[in-house]
Amino acid sequence: MVAENRTIRFTLNGQPVAAEVAPHRTLVEVLQDQFSLFGARESCSQGLCGCCTVVVDGRAVSGCLYLAAFADGAEVTTVEHLGNGGRLSAVQEAFLEAGAFQCGFCTPGFVVMASQLLAEHPDPDDDQIRHYLSGNLCRCGAYPEIIQAVRLAARKQKGG
Amino acid sequence: MTVMSGGQVGRSVPRREGPAKVSGRAEYVHHLRLPGMLVGKIFRSTVAHGRIKRIDVTAAQALPGVVSVITGEDIRTVIPHPYYGPAFHDQPILALDKVHYVGEPVAVVLAADPHVADAAAQLIVAEYEELPAVFDEVEAMTSKAVVHDTLKPAGTFPDLKHLEGKRDTNVALDFRLRRGDVARAFAEADRVFEHTFRTQQVLHLPLEPFVSAAETTDSAATIYTASQSPSFVRIEIARLLGWPENRVRVKTAFLGGGFGAKLYIKLEALVVALSLMVRRPVKISLTMEEQFYTITKHASTFRIKSGVKDGRITARECEVWWNGGAYADIGPRVTQKSGFTAAGPYDIDNVHVDSYALYTNLPPAGALRGFGIPQLVWAYECHTDMVAHELGIDPVAFRRKHILRNWRPQATGTVMRDAEIEAVLDRLAARMDWAKPFDRGTGTIRRGRGIAIGFKASVAPTTSMAIVNLYADGSCALYCSTVDMGQGSDTIMAQIVAEVLNLPVESVTVVHPDTDVTPYDMATLGSRSTYHMGHAVRLAAEEVRAKLAAMAEELGLPPGSNVPVAELFRRKYGMQAGNVVGSGSYIPAYKSPDHDTGLTPNATPYWMTGGTGAEVEVDTETGQVRVTRLVNVADVGKPINPKIVDTQLSGAAVMQLGFTMFEEMNFDGGQVTNASLADYKIPGLRDMPVMENEAVAAEQRDGPFGAKGVGESGTFGVSPAIANAIFDAVGVRLTKLPLTAEAVYRALRAARGQPLAEE
Amino acid sequence: MTPFDLVEPRSLRDAAGLLDPDDPSVRPIAGGTALMLMMKAGVFKPTRLVSLRSVEPEASRIQVDDTTLRIGALTPLASLERSAETRRLLPAISRTLRTLSNVRVRNVATIGGHLAHADPHMDLPPLLIALGASIRVVGPGGERTLPVESLFAGYFETSLARNELIAELSVPLWPQVRAAYLKCTTRSADDWPALGVAVALEMAGSSITEARIVVSAATERPTKLSGASVALRGGRGDDAALRRACDAAADEVSPMADAHGSAAYKRELVRVYVGRAVRAALAAGGAG
Repeated sequence: MVAENRTIRFTLNGQPVAAEVAPHRTLVEVLQDQFSLFGARESCSQGLCGCCTVVVDGRAVSGCLYLAAFADGAEVTTVEHLGNGGRLSAVQEAFLEAGAFQCGFCTPGFVVMASQLLAEHPDPDDDQIRHYLSGNLCRCGAYPEIIQAVRLAARKQKGG
Repeated sequence: MTVMSGGQVGRSVPRREGPAKVSGRAEYVHHLRLPGMLVGKIFRSTVAHGRIKRIDVTAAQALPGVVSVITGEDIRTVIPHPYYGPAFHDQPILALDKVHYVGEPVAVVLAADPHVADAAAQLIVAEYEELPAVFDEVEAMTSKAVVHDTLKPAGTFPDLKHLEGKRDTNVALDFRLRRGDVARAFAEADRVFEHTFRTQQVLHLPLEPFVSAAETTDSAATIYTASQSPSFVRIEIARLLGWPENRVRVKTAFLGGGFGAKLYIKLEALVVALSLMVRRPVKISLTMEEQFYTITKHASTFRIKSGVKDGRITARECEVWWNGGAYADIGPRVTQKSGFTAAGPYDIDNVHVDSYALYTNLPPAGALRGFGIPQLVWAYECHTDMVAHELGIDPVAFRRKHILRNWRPQATGTVMRDAEIEAVLDRLAARMDWAKPFDRGTGTIRRGRGIAIGFKASVAPTTSMAIVNLYADGSCALYCSTVDMGQGSDTIMAQIVAEVLNLPVESVTVVHPDTDVTPYDMATLGSRSTYHMGHAVRLAAEEVRAKLAAMAEELGLPPGSNVPVAELFRRKYGMQAGNVVGSGSYIPAYKSPDHDTGLTPNATPYWMTGGTGAEVEVDTETGQVRVTRLVNVADVGKPINPKIVDTQLSGAAVMQLGFTMFEEMNFDGGQVTNASLADYKIPGLRDMPVMENEAVAAEQRDGPFGAKGVGESGTFGVSPAIANAIFDAVGVRLTKLPLTAEAVYRALRAARGQPLAEE
Repeated sequence: MTPFDLVEPRSLRDAAGLLDPDDPSVRPIAGGTALMLMMKAGVFKPTRLVSLRSVEPEASRIQVDDTTLRIGALTPLASLERSAETRRLLPAISRTLRTLSNVRVRNVATIGGHLAHADPHMDLPPLLIALGASIRVVGPGGERTLPVESLFAGYFETSLARNELIAELSVPLWPQVRAAYLKCTTRSADDWPALGVAVALEMAGSSITEARIVVSAATERPTKLSGASVALRGGRGDDAALRRACDAAADEVSPMADAHGSAAYKRELVRVYVGRAVRAALAAGGAG
């Protein structure tokens, strides 16, 4: 079965881009192989760990379960785009201050999900935090610090 | 040890690599792309034990895009004797003649496109003549099914020099310890208690699965690998190739988790051999599923027996069987080292330990965060609670009565020092409000609490080396082969350098392991780095400090003058030029235990102690257990970075919580049936209890700045503390991990005299 | 994954025309979260995927009239979860969605795919069956409507032809219905359920005039428990009636043993959770 490659055009971290992709390529593969963006990374391959989290049209998705072809025309944002001109975002700063990571492999996924959570609920309660982030796994077990980081980020975003 | 006045040690310095990690820019081998690189996909055995009759690779070879398909016999063209391992040279790079477990690598497809390699691997056909297999560690002692025809000791590590070559047995190592007269003590005892406990096979499951790449020429090999032991990799690959060490270069990056998985040789020998054969760079990245076929944690069976006379334990007999799977990996060391402490952190005059490392036809087992200690603590701390309950004594009081205090001999005969076991117990009891009444719940929800403590001898004797390079502007670099896999070693080591040289910690960079650049380190394992590498780094920095002082003297400055470092260099070299390089090496004293008695005057450079208190809620209608609170207390000496110590304790406890409550590799005829994160569950946010962590006031007096290791201590007490809490809540005792809802429910039904049918 | 062809028709009708009733290697893909898992595991190797992402916008709309909530099959689960109409009219569905898989999956997975995948561990099917929901299906020959209950033919099997597509889900709105869904996980909190129990009670005052109890996950497909319903019908859900219902449920269910628990244990879970789900439904306000 020979499948035809197609050209997809999308906005990647604010810039219009194009890529030649085969239909069976996933978004995370294309981000890594064609755009050298490694913040979203494949781990469990089942959408359960959240290491491959990227934002497509404003919604977090698992990049390893998302065909790159489906990003045609979309706005794609990765962890590399958080923050402003080399400065860390409030969420990233909060993760640093709370020490909410160890090996760091899952961290970009948590940071992106936490950013999405705070966009939707600027002042989340514990239940909202647990609910929103329960689809991300951290084998180092930094969960207590991650919850602290999200609370801290909420305060920072409020300008506290 | 003199404590310096730099103010950099004992402080919660934020992690050095933090900004890179939170912005997705930290470097992992996972990301590595080399020009012209091929990727390999492994074809694996589908039988647990069998002779290879035929491997047909023609269809795979014919798939467009496939560059090469390689089998075990092909490997011999570049490595004639392709067997490796830290304890025994028992593991072939790809299966030769026989396969020994389901999932063993048999062949590899190489292609530029991973999807093509993947598709081609599915086209390989292998035929086997199946042989009888053995899966249970106790059966393996006497089984007619023998996993390996002969055993070939590696002879690499000094603590494993006594391993013997053997035939027709599954016993890779038997460790024995004999202290006092157990038989007599049992005969004289008022009461004797005996229980058997089991643990299940689980795995590390780092979120960055195993990954290694190699690029080679005829005379040199560079290996990029997510490894905890770059120095070992270099030495072992050099041995396999028959090359001197200096032709093999091993580089690591940050590791996306290790936990003991990424030790010794995993994919490194394979990628080197493949690269030599196809003369292109080769990378192999395992999938999450393939991690289940690579290295695991030992399942175990532990029979423990205690004799009590006048309310005191006078004798303890321990028999432990370790399920090592098809290759020994580091199982023999797990078996021996854990055997030192199998009787628990108690002062018992008569101790008898037999600990057996066994081969079976399961995926290999090695080191996992605790090196066998969590399996032992699980048994001896449940047993201790059961004995206390039978004797009608409060479990904390019963432990305190037997606690092993400093200056008393431990079971090996080694005199205890700098081990704050009693303080750990006391702080646990205080934090748990043990003396106060406890809310026991109502209706179908019953509450309970439990505690457990454990201890561990550090791995010894092992060597660490470090180089500190001070630049002419006063900044400096540390070269060491300790791998930062999330435990925060880069930060700790930078703090030690900064402390000795009285620099801000920001002025110290840490050069990641590269065996062409960074000196030897035994490995990043067993909570050894802070102590061993910490000493080497301290010594290297002290040498720099001494050389600086000499330089100042040479320049005619009075002793203690405060001329800035940069000015010293300018005066000596006439400009900003030059370096001051210091090196340090450290190997602690150690005496191997006597072969027949297990006794030694120096079993370990330091003791690690950890304990956990657990509170649980048990649903009596379903058996579901919710762990609501975990209190983790440890003796880590004087913390170099209290925040990192805290996260290490809590992270270790979270991992052990998974091993306690639900993690379990399920097997059907040796085939793992739940090799994915969908079917093998690890703890998530909604499984988190309230976590509290505490490092007790302590000092390891011969440790660097009073510190010692911490990475594993948080695991020790978790499983028995929870089981003890479940007993406290509902009066049922589980003796096998994991503590599933169904197991609790069945025990509740059995206790009511209405056992639930097997179905 | 192996290469395949990807086509993107502009309507569901066209999409149905591109499917082949005799070729299992041609399948529709919407959110793709479940299909991608099968493809990545190598258990499904498509020759062609028919993407439903560019079909008519009506297919992803949520509409309400006096008697029905109509949900286009391409509606992402997250949109259904956030919909004000769902929250107001069918809060049991919103609550269930919150516990379904994770945020990322719900952002992408569609209600049509959720149903068509026919995985017995899915959370909404038992609740939709209890609520008496139905689906509208399009095929090359036209449309038909069937109750959600008869969609599930077996383990990962539906009663749809290979070239039929779910176009819309309709959930009846009965103000006097109280509903709840409870799920039980036996390993980590985010595990697939060992058991799901959905309950919908039609009430006349405080009397139960009709009870529909559906279990999932423990059985090879979502299964109505009629004995338990009979035990509740006409009563007020008092303790004695609940006990009878729970025992009837445990007697009539045929659980599958798997890594989540033995069949005997799951039977006991059914006995407990049916009671808890009925209580939760009774405690819920109108329309559950």
